[in-house]
Amino acid sequence: MSELLQIGAVNERPKPPRAEDLNLRFSDRAVAELEALKTHYPNWKACILPGLWIAQREYGGFLSGEAIAEVAHRLQRSYAEVEGVATFYSMYNTAHVPGKHKIEVCTCLTCQVCGAYPLWEHLKAKLGIGHGETTADGMFTLEEVECLNACDRAPLIQVGDQYIGPLDTAGVDRLLDELRGRSDSTVVQMADVVVQVHLREPERNPT
Amino acid sequence: MRNPHGAELFCARTPAWAGRIVLKMAELKLLLEHAHESEFATLRGYVARGGYEGLKAALGMDRQGVIDQIKASGLRGRGGAGFPTWIKWNGIPKEKNGTHYILCNADEGEPGTFKDKQLMEQTPFELIEGMTIAAVATQGDVGYIYIRGEFLDAAKAMRRAIDEAYRDGYLGQNILGSGLNFDLHLHLGAGSYECGEESALMSSLMGERGMPRLKFPHAPLPTIAGLFDRPTVINNVETYCCAPYILKNGGEWYATLGAATKNSRGTKIFSVSGHVNRPGNIEIEFGTSLMELLEMSGGMQGGRLKACVPGGSSVPIINAEACEKAIIGYEEMGDVKTMVGSGGCMFLNDHTCIVKFIWRTALFYARESCGKCTPCREGTKWMLQILTRIVDGKGQPGDDQLLLEICKQIDGRSFCGLGDAAAWPVEAAIRVFPEEFDFYIKNGRSMVETPLMATMSPR
Repeated sequence: MSELLQIGAVNERPKPPRAEDLNLRFSDRAVAELEALKTHYPNWKACILPGLWIAQREYGGFLSGEAIAEVAHRLQRSYAEVEGVATFYSMYNTAHVPGKHKIEVCTCLTCQVCGAYPLWEHLKAKLGIGHGETTADGMFTLEEVECLNACDRAPLIQVGDQYIGPLDTAGVDRLLDELRGRSDSTVVQMADVVVQVHLREPERNPT
Repeated sequence: MRNPHGAELFCARTPAWAGRIVLKMAELKLLLEHAHESEFATLRGYVARGGYEGLKAALGMDRQGVIDQIKASGLRGRGGAGFPTWIKWNGIPKEKNGTHYILCNADEGEPGTFKDKQLMEQTPFELIEGMTIAAVATQGDVGYIYIRGEFLDAAKAMRRAIDEAYRDGYLGQNILGSGLNFDLHLHLGAGSYECGEESALMSSLMGERGMPRLKFPHAPLPTIAGLFDRPTVINNVETYCCAPYILKNGGEWYATLGAATKNSRGTKIFSVSGHVNRPGNIEIEFGTSLMELLEMSGGMQGGRLKACVPGGSSVPIINAEACEKAIIGYEEMGDVKTMVGSGGCMFLNDHTCIVKFIWRTALFYARESCGKCTPCREGTKWMLQILTRIVDGKGQPGDDQLLLEICKQIDGRSFCGLGDAAAWPVEAAIRVFPEEFDFYIKNGRSMVETPLMATMSPR
């Protein structure tokens, strides 16, 4: 990404990436959404988090260097600043391309005492992958996450915008079959839902 | 008892009441009274059930009058710290020279807590009305609800409610013809426990990494320079939800709830989970005993009561004897060396291995430490390393003392409360269940030999 870092003269802050260095991929809809979001805050910097959600949807669920650079360009912040924010939060996929469906298993306290680890072991064995890994067919990414705060439904799994629980191993198998039959990616769908809830009624579906 | 609604609540204790509303023992539903009715999540249903009367009352008062009602009610922050709400509201400059922000902390991340989720999903208008009342009291112009990124059901419900409120003139310009302008936006997080800390939440909303900021007295209070360096009121979801009822029925009426306790007023929602028959949110009056709460959630499942974490993972764990003595109240819980916290109450049965439970708590804090300050960033990892070696059967003599030593180094020395919150449960578990730690370190295996214990860590 070094060519995207526009370091200025001494005592100058790093500059935002320039449009001519980038292959901009935001759709018209995404641009309109970002413009609407800018009116919610007194400055553009506050749009970094929602802007990254838009990018995560537009780039198919993965925040690549290009995706982060595009957000930085559109909000006129430096690449380093936006990348620093993106890598802090666990729900942005910055490490590697996620599978079509991200299965997030809560193993935190209540789920732990209600049998989350046997579920976790079952999923790992069934998919043949560990924490943060993706199956070879690019279908599933498995993640162990911290408390999802629906402890009354422990043990709990999150897929896309859905909380599913309480679950047992048979339920997990059914869930995997169901997900295999889905044509859309729950990772992208979730990012879309996040963007939509930010927007007020007149701002959604901009024409 | 100044109005019909208040009277109804008090008659509740007579048997005649029990027939009308389905109630368990001493459950006292104020915020959650209509939560199960899907109509209540619509503006029409909300207004039909007495909604927005609190805001109308507030609009009829002067600003200080609203704050005085909150003061008289004795309302304290429901997010965990229990700070008096009126002090925050009163701290906003009375002379306005720019934007004032009303901020709602809906980044519910404390393990064991799920009350804000239910409030936002089922009673979204209580939150909107509460924030609007805060805007009346503090001349707020813009509000943000910071919801954690995972809570999409709650965010969708809030979005529907906000759109509806805008359509019918309950948000936006000239609310209810009073001349009040108040805009409300949703902002979603992206997965970080630390963002539940108020200054970290503001950092995150301003588009930064979710790390805490310098605090009073080294920096101005948020009421002077908070979000975007402007005066900011920040409260928990449940706190804002209480405001409509206080304004509707009067602060003095609210203060009669929980009057048996030293300094805790009103109702509190407890999220009961763990080994109980009916996990879920239970709203009780302060002064109820912990055992009553357990009974309301259907009693223990699969064994006898062994321990309880009454207020979310951060608060010190207590044993069964302390549970019997515990009365729910901010000061009263101190008598059994624990806290009300955020109300995430986890009951554990006697098949639970406390060492493994605390190992998982330490893992949580080690993963969620934001890395800003050294005591927390390093200390949580050290505690995890030591607890992992104990759980793996490689504990060394004196490990428990070593853990206590680290706890002492973190507690009170970290930049924000996360460090303290990481140290308390470990320190308390070693104090309350020393024999389990001794046994595990000496024999390399758990004192509790049950199938449940075996499933409490990955292998």
